[in-house]
Amino acid sequence: MIELLKLCGFTDSEIEAQLPRVAAVFSRFGVTAEDIERGKQRLNKYYDLEMPGVRQAVRLCIKDLTNMVLAREEGKQKVIYGFMAPGFEILGSALLSKSSAVHVASLFPSLHFVIGCVFDKIVPILEAAERKWLKSGKIAHCGNVKTLVGLFALDLIPRPDLLVTSGFLCDTAPKAIDLIQELYGIPTYYYDSCHDREFREYPDDIRVTGLAAKSLRRFALKVQEVVGFEITDDMLQEAIDARGGLSTAMKNIHNLMDSGDPLPLSANHDLLCHTMSTLPRGKSDTGEPLAILNTIYEAMQDRVRKGIGAVEKGAPRVLALNPHHMNDPRMEHLLGELGIALVSSETGFFAPHGERDPAGEKPADPYEKLAQSLRTSLAQGLSARAAIIIEACRRLNVDGVLDKYHVGCRMGAADAMLLKDAITQQLGIPVLLMEWEGFDPRAYNEEQCRRRLELFKDVLISSRQPE
Amino acid sequence: MTLMELRELSDLDTHLGNRPAQLRAAQRKGVKVVGFFPGNYVPEEIIYASGALPICLARGGSPEPVDAALTEVPDVICPFVRAQVGERLLKTNPYYGMIDMLVAPITCQHLKKAGEIWEYHGDKEIFKLGVPHQNDAEFSLEYYADRLRVMKDRLEALTGNEITDEKLGEAITLYNRIRGLLREVSLLRRAAPPPISSLEFVKLNHASFYADPVFFADVLDSVYHELQGEKAVTKAEAPRLLLLGPNVADGDYKVLGLVAAAGGEIVAEELCEGIRYYWHDIENEGDLRRSLARGYLIDRLPCAFIRRSAKKRLDFALKLVQDFDVSGIIWYEILQCEVYNAESYFFAQRMREHNVPMLILESDYGTADVGQLRTRIEAFIEQIRKAGDND
Ligand code: SF4
Ligand code: SF4
Repeated sequence: MIELLKLCGFTDSEIEAQLPRVAAVFSRFGVTAEDIERGKQRLNKYYDLEMPGVRQAVRLCIKDLTNMVLAREEGKQKVIYGFMAPGFEILGSALLSKSSAVHVASLFPSLHFVIGCVFDKIVPILEAAERKWLKSGKIAHCGNVKTLVGLFALDLIPRPDLLVTSGFLCDTAPKAIDLIQELYGIPTYYYDSCHDREFREYPDDIRVTGLAAKSLRRFALKVQEVVGFEITDDMLQEAIDARGGLSTAMKNIHNLMDSGDPLPLSANHDLLCHTMSTLPRGKSDTGEPLAILNTIYEAMQDRVRKGIGAVEKGAPRVLALNPHHMNDPRMEHLLGELGIALVSSETGFFAPHGERDPAGEKPADPYEKLAQSLRTSLAQGLSARAAIIIEACRRLNVDGVLDKYHVGCRMGAADAMLLKDAITQQLGIPVLLMEWEGFDPRAYNEEQCRRRLELFKDVLISSRQPE
Repeated sequence: MTLMELRELSDLDTHLGNRPAQLRAAQRKGVKVVGFFPGNYVPEEIIYASGALPICLARGGSPEPVDAALTEVPDVICPFVRAQVGERLLKTNPYYGMIDMLVAPITCQHLKKAGEIWEYHGDKEIFKLGVPHQNDAEFSLEYYADRLRVMKDRLEALTGNEITDEKLGEAITLYNRIRGLLREVSLLRRAAPPPISSLEFVKLNHASFYADPVFFADVLDSVYHELQGEKAVTKAEAPRLLLLGPNVADGDYKVLGLVAAAGGEIVAEELCEGIRYYWHDIENEGDLRRSLARGYLIDRLPCAFIRRSAKKRLDFALKLVQDFDVSGIIWYEILQCEVYNAESYFFAQRMREHNVPMLILESDYGTADVGQLRTRIEAFIEQIRKAGDND
């Protein structure tokens, strides 16, 4: 365990202080000495621990998970979780800035990373959910909600005073928390919008972001009831400002990823960086993830200067639709091994130009700012999503698109064929569709993936336009 | 005379047979045909008041369209939605091809995709009707009422007719009459044995998707009066069952047929295309658009995609169990309908606590599962019979 913590960038004095806490958390998840050995191997294999900042990112994930699991035992009076709740991390940051008696966690980037990517121990959690109402088989329930239900079924994380989700993307998460409230008595809440944008209105989003802002405001009132203090607009604005540095740091990283040849960072690290940028942190606490992101960015700049990359210069460039696998680094790693540059996943591409930032005037209402994620491709209807992705492909100058559609996520999976149709028609670049489960490592079949991706690489190269 | 010998019902059959031709003839005279997807969130009243002819597109039950849709959506999308995509591709069902406009309600995450796919192809006028899934806030009601205003504007532009309050009031009266009659007929099924079978009732309800509403209301009226003096269609000892689930599409009669063949009697259907539609009337006074908004979004029993809906539907189902003297529940869900599938666990658990046996069935529109379904249904009905004998 000590060796592992060292590998993850913990200092000796930190290890002394943190070891009992971390050990308690790992043992709760059934992490054995053997798992720790495997964890070390996986970290060394799938992550570039020599790259400055990477170990610190892993370390912060472990700390974040530990803080969440021990929140009650360590005296936090109120625990609030957000699940599939874009914008919650900002509201959560406002709460953390105000009170140290509250614990706020976004479920579960850091848990997926530590328990899944590092230890490969997600499956028992998924299985626990499958013994409840999210049964396995052809129905293909989403692995993300399985993780949520499995964690409560196994009592692995403290029961919160409030569990919130949004309907910004799906009905699956709201249904899951509805049943969690009915069956486990955990208080839950929602904020919502409406998925009725027509393509003829595109890219106008005011109606749906306005509705979401009202719903978020109502949610804030509910949170006030739980925590016992007021959440003012100023507090929220301060949290937005305090997190501004994280967004800028992520944007810098993405800019280098978008243009760098060779690709300066592999997809697994991209996900790790993304985790750093989405953890709820109090105002005085954003320094740590920010420093990590800036360190990684500087290391990337250095790589670019030296021409070092995660894949060879000139490797075929690919955009992956849907986010990367959240708790299994193998597929993203394989892509790199095969010499395919996975430039980006489909996270945070905004209408109408496929940029990383929402275009146009910034809204004055802080709740409308929280609702801006509705303007990204994943929250749009099919035609608008296609339009944004096509613009992003142009901007990123990719040779092809990999749509490994997450079958449990119907709103994204349903688009697969017609997105391919739109991209092929408008850009003439190859699109590979792969049925996938973005939260379940059991979906991975190395042989099959390798074969299909090797073929895809050949197609990418042969269909490249001559310079 | 049996129900099926009723002249009005054979007239209804003839009417339905001629309906596509009638609609085409109307279109030639400039009348518009407006299709909409089911689920109870599209007020037909507004379509009707615009002078357009509303048609509910809810065909299902056969595998061809479902398979045809696989070129456009993967098989994790539910067969009912795939049918709505596949019918558009196959062009064999006349209604899907003839509509001048589609109103696509933003309901469950599968069905909203059907609207998006129709929109993607761009060959039909589409209106996406936003249905806030969080329906317990004043701002949600306002939002939906505003979308109804836009729907009205779009229909006025399509038809060239103004939708006056007077026309809207008349349409509400007409549809309230239909809902009221369906409700009355449904309530007759509390009798033991009921005077109309589930299959007959469901098909009658499905006829309303296509029929001229004035004509249909008159047919229903005759049926209702006929049934009041009607003899039973089943044996009194048939176990009385409640059907729960997402939907039974027009044409999806496999499970209803198997239950009847096994000697079970479904006496009520708590589905999108069942009780949820006709249980409440729309208030026909004051601000009618708001009244429609309230009636459709809030007063109705919510579908599973509405937040916090499971408990409400569970409580209502328990009430139906009492009121209709039900001794068992058939939960029929469509394969890949993950939201209802998740709920089935909760319902089964709660029904167990209330000592109401529940059978969960799931099927696509294929035929391969008929044998297995039959065995399970027969065993379930047998189990209820035995429990009844022991009482
Ligand atoms: S992955 Fe998709 S289905 Fe699963 S919780 Fe997230 S948005 Fe919902
Ligand atoms: S069957 Fe289920 S998934 Fe399909 S349209 Fe109905 S509610 Fe939606």
